[in-house]
Amino acid sequence: MTTRRSALQLASRAFPEPFQNFLVGRLARQLKAELCEKMTDDFLEALLRGMDWAFLLSGSYRRNIDGFCGICVFRTLDNKVSTTAVFEDGHMSVEHQARYTYNVRVSFQDVHALWSFLLSENQDILDSILANTVDVDGNLNYLYRFGFLAKDLTRRLGVA
Amino acid sequence: MIATQEVPLQEVKLAPALRALREAYFQAIPEVCVERPRLITKFSVEAGLFERERITVLEKARLYRRVLQHRTPVVWHKQGHKRTATGLEEFSFDDSSPFAGSTTSKFKGVPIYPEFMALALWPELWTMSRRQSNPYYISEEEIQALNLEVFPFWMDHNITELARARGTEEDRRRMQLLQKFVFFLASKPNCISHTIPDFSRAVREGLRAVINDALERQERSTDQRQQDFYQAMAEVLEGIIAYAHNLADAAAGMATRATDAKQKAHLTEIAKIYGRVPEQPARTFREGLTTIWLCWTAIHLENPNVGLSLGRLDQVLYDLYRRDIDAGRMTVEDAVQLLGYVWLKIGDHVPMVPAAGEQLFGGTGSNQAITIGGVDSEGHNAVNELTYVMLRAIELMKLRDPNLNARYYPGVNGKDYLRRLCEANVNTGATPALHNDRAVIRALTASGHTVAQARDYGVIGCVEPGSNGRFYGHSGAILLNLPSALELTLFNGRHRHFGLDNVISMETGDPYTFQSFAEFQGAFNLQLHWVLDQAIALNELFGRIHQQFYPTPILSALFEGPMESGKDLIEGGATLNASGIAIIGFADVVDSLNVIEKLVYGQQPSDNTLFRAIAKNYEGYEALLARVRNPEKVPRFGADEVNGEKNAIWLTEVLHEATHTRRNYRGGYYRVGYWSMTNHAGFGRFIGATPNGRKDGENFSSGLTPCSGVTPHMTAALHAVANLPAECISNGMAVNLKFTPDDGDRTRMLDNFTAAVAGYFDASADHGTGGMEIQFNVTSHRDFIEAVKDPSRYDQLLVRVSGYTAYFKDLNPQMQKEIIDRTEYRLSSGDAVPYEPFALTKGADHDN
Repeated sequence: MTTRRSALQLASRAFPEPFQNFLVGRLARQLKAELCEKMTDDFLEALLRGMDWAFLLSGSYRRNIDGFCGICVFRTLDNKVSTTAVFEDGHMSVEHQARYTYNVRVSFQDVHALWSFLLSENQDILDSILANTVDVDGNLNYLYRFGFLAKDLTRRLGVA
Repeated sequence: MIATQEVPLQEVKLAPALRALREAYFQAIPEVCVERPRLITKFSVEAGLFERERITVLEKARLYRRVLQHRTPVVWHKQGHKRTATGLEEFSFDDSSPFAGSTTSKFKGVPIYPEFMALALWPELWTMSRRQSNPYYISEEEIQALNLEVFPFWMDHNITELARARGTEEDRRRMQLLQKFVFFLASKPNCISHTIPDFSRAVREGLRAVINDALERQERSTDQRQQDFYQAMAEVLEGIIAYAHNLADAAAGMATRATDAKQKAHLTEIAKIYGRVPEQPARTFREGLTTIWLCWTAIHLENPNVGLSLGRLDQVLYDLYRRDIDAGRMTVEDAVQLLGYVWLKIGDHVPMVPAAGEQLFGGTGSNQAITIGGVDSEGHNAVNELTYVMLRAIELMKLRDPNLNARYYPGVNGKDYLRRLCEANVNTGATPALHNDRAVIRALTASGHTVAQARDYGVIGCVEPGSNGRFYGHSGAILLNLPSALELTLFNGRHRHFGLDNVISMETGDPYTFQSFAEFQGAFNLQLHWVLDQAIALNELFGRIHQQFYPTPILSALFEGPMESGKDLIEGGATLNASGIAIIGFADVVDSLNVIEKLVYGQQPSDNTLFRAIAKNYEGYEALLARVRNPEKVPRFGADEVNGEKNAIWLTEVLHEATHTRRNYRGGYYRVGYWSMTNHAGFGRFIGATPNGRKDGENFSSGLTPCSGVTPHMTAALHAVANLPAECISNGMAVNLKFTPDDGDRTRMLDNFTAAVAGYFDASADHGTGGMEIQFNVTSHRDFIEAVKDPSRYDQLLVRVSGYTAYFKDLNPQMQKEIIDRTEYRLSSGDAVPYEPFALTKGADHDN
């Protein structure tokens, strides 16, 4: 972690949790816009960036990944877009390419399919499978945990 | 007529306190209980079980003993959560049940098993209390407990992941198939279940005697594994006794604090009984019920309840009942009330179903079957007074669980009894399911039961028969989407769901080029074997993982066989072993074969128009569709005695041949049955148009029931089912029939009802044993339609799905449609009542 990020994380501890969530909300504006206004191809990136801010600024959100080590790969079915979220020692880092070794890999047709699979209030997992819009390889439990993190973030942002 | 003083049994009503508790039960929505997963995880960490390459039965037993000792002894529940216009709200109620303890720490709980599938709830923890269909209440503190204290420990250690990590590449490929839901479902990742424990010894001798027996055998054995197993049995039974004593202490404490004399006496009595049983032999009917109830909660501590069933309670408890009645200690009314309270206890939990499962299994209970009536192991009439008392209690309570199944042996059991069973169906609208002993016993003896064992069968889960307390048949191990084999045949090893560019199984030839129906049948047989191979291989893998990581000492200690063999149930310790496959979509495949035989290969030269039509979902082929759907033009199962049934018999024999010689990891054999729960709706969504006129995504027919809309006469439909060889159907069958409730002459209606069942069960006709099973919905078409529109007015409307009972309001829209569209017959004439197919509103089919 950079010195600046460490300092931010340290400083955020002085704030009560509602204010931490407020800060996350301010910094994760793009994700809110993606969820509340118009979803674009940047949805996944906005989600991961929002999670990153939340891990940095919110102690209770960070607690979700205490001791968690795992690699989640997200890619489009055509393999044109790939992102890896790496969880290690209570931190998350994002790589803009797919790792070959992973705990779980989610391949999705488009961001709407991914959103429906991960975040929709009425998740239609069966429909996602029916339509073959999402394919999962690896340990599903890592995906379930990632799903919780995503939902917890949107709850904090007040959009769930 | 059984009577208590001057009150006939049928006039016995629920006491006000029980009625009020039942109302609270219906108001309460299920609540996630985190006590079990917290304790299991904490003690597993402390015992170092997450580091083990294999967990022994003794380690598991010690874990369960600690959990049983530490779980909260809840004597009575006082609070629940109910739905209101603004969300979920806490409410209070009075509970004065004579039975203390509960499956979870909640009044109506959702038990959580992180060892199995519970982690699928992780992403839904924040939203499950808001989901439209079957929400669960969970507090924020409980969400955090699961998120932080429980789930993280199981990410690499639940059964699915253990199997994935230890399986071969081929196994992982099969698991990918499983995840797609298209070909089959496997239940081992979710449970060790679908069986009937043996309560008779616990009731008769008490658990202390069973412990002593185990310890004596341990002393005599020279085999370390056996010694550990016997020690494990003793450990878990001590745990159950400890839980009972904790409940006794809690009740005694409450009695001390009680100010009301009646309540004080009531609690003192509970304390006295729980201080005695299940450790010691039961002396009264109430003590017998208490023993069974406490053992039942312990079994669920170990395993998720998926079709765990209670067996022949009217036989196990009859002596105690008789003694109490004869001694004047209990009236028949008292017995009905006691049973009512036990029924509520049995239904005190619901299975954990995540959102995706809601779409496949929405509305399912735990399918806890109770069996009444029939014959005893010597073939004598076993219907007794308690049979009728249980029937009355079921009729009054009208609960989803327990799922009542009544046995009837034509010529041995009386016609009055059969008539009473039919009457109960009219009164409840959906229960009990009826089983023909003659056919079932034939099926079981053909699959390895002795005659005496077969006569002592109980019903497991939905409809599956197995010898009571000695048969570990895991009857719901595999749920097979039979039309997927047809799909692979039609598209030469490909499946429309995955795109026709990919060969999924193997190429068995292009049906356009086949010269005969026999060639098509040959290809179908190969594809069917391929699907079965995948499902069975995966079932075996999961079974081996259970053996390595999930020994079952509690269930083993309450079963016939493990004590004698010194082996856990999952090591093959039960007296009888098997693995069960439920076939889904049978009638659709049979009718498809019928249509293909006649309209494709029955023409000279072969006419492939049908294949082109199904590829286009019959669009542009409306005339052909009308012809295919007309039972007068094409033979249909249930409508045509000769041609319609030929392929049905062929298919049951093919499925039997393909499975009954395959040995499972416990030394038993595979067996097939025909019941579908809600999967005929769920699986239907994955299969495109089929040759029988079913369009893309539509429901399959349920169980072994002929397809709706093509069987105009009830007699022919039942005759077709009864003609199938019972020997090939040892894993049970569900035939769903819908009757129009007659508003007028009730006596005549019951006469006709009884005659219809008697005719179906009749072996004197050309079919050998008579039909095996039948179940009913006796609710008007109008009421079903109204119940869709206004579920709150019909919140207790009980229906038969395909095997189990459910509340209509809990079913997903597609399943509701399937029930509404089932062929409905008038009992007066046996003719089908014509209704237009029910139209789902747009989006309703996935509005969960």
